[in-house]
Amino acid sequence: MVAEGKEQVKEEREKFSIVLFSGDYDRAMAAFILATTAAAENMDVAIFFTFWGLNFLKKGKFALNSKQSLPQKLLNIMNRKADRLSRFNMGGLGISMMKYLMKKNKVPTVDELMKMAKAMGVKFIACTTTLKVMGLEKENFSDIVDEFAGAATFLERAKNSKITLFI
Amino acid sequence: MEELETLVEKTLDCTGLVCPMPIIKAKQEIETVPSGKILKIIADDPGFEPDVKAWCKASGLELLKLEKRDNRFVAWVRKP
Repeated sequence: MVAEGKEQVKEEREKFSIVLFSGDYDRAMAAFILATTAAAENMDVAIFFTFWGLNFLKKGKFALNSKQSLPQKLLNIMNRKADRLSRFNMGGLGISMMKYLMKKNKVPTVDELMKMAKAMGVKFIACTTTLKVMGLEKENFSDIVDEFAGAATFLERAKNSKITLFI
Repeated sequence: MEELETLVEKTLDCTGLVCPMPIIKAKQEIETVPSGKILKIIADDPGFEPDVKAWCKASGLELLKLEKRDNRFVAWVRKP
C-alpha cells in the first residue's frame, strides 16, 4: 500500500467531472459532498453548472440585468437562488424541514459545502449557452465561478476523467 | 500500542461530525503532519469506518490501526 501511494503522488491527479443540471437542493448536496470528498482524496475536480444548476452560482436574489427581455426576466425571477427539494418540497415546507434535520445532524449546508469545495481547489464552470438562453451576464454570477465555457470544454475534461457524473 | 502513540503528531476529534466532514478535516490536518508521523482521528459517524480505509487507500496513506471503542472509531494514519 505504501509503494502504491508513492507512485500515485508522482503521477497526475485523477480527474472527476460533474455536470450539475439540477437546481434542487438535495441533488446539489450530493454533488458537493462527492466533489469535496474527492478533493480530499487529491482528485482534480470540476463541476460544470448548466440549466437549473446555474441557480447555485447566482449573485443576489434575482440575477436580473438591463439587457433581459420580459420572458427572461420572468424566468430569472421564478428561478431565484435554488432552495427547493426535488421531492416533497410542499411549497417550501419540505426544504425547511430538511434544513432543520440537516442542522440538527450537523450536516453542512450547500453554501458551506460550496465554500469548502472552492477552498479545496474544485473548479466551478458555468455553461455559456444557458447564460445566453436565460439572458444572464457574467455580472450576475458570484466570484466563485472560475470559468465560463461550453460543452466542448466539458467533454474534453470528461474524456480524460476517471469519474464523470450527471446530477 | 505505546510505539504508535509516540509517533502521533496530532489528534483530530471529529465526534459529532458526519460525512463528509471527518474526511475533509482529516485531509486538512494530514497536510500539516510531517512524513513518518501519525494523525490520530476520532469519529463516531458509522460511515467513518469504511470511509477512512477508502480515503487512505486513495490518498496513499497508511492506515496503521483502526479501533472501535463503544460507538467511536479511532484511526491511526501515517503519512509515508
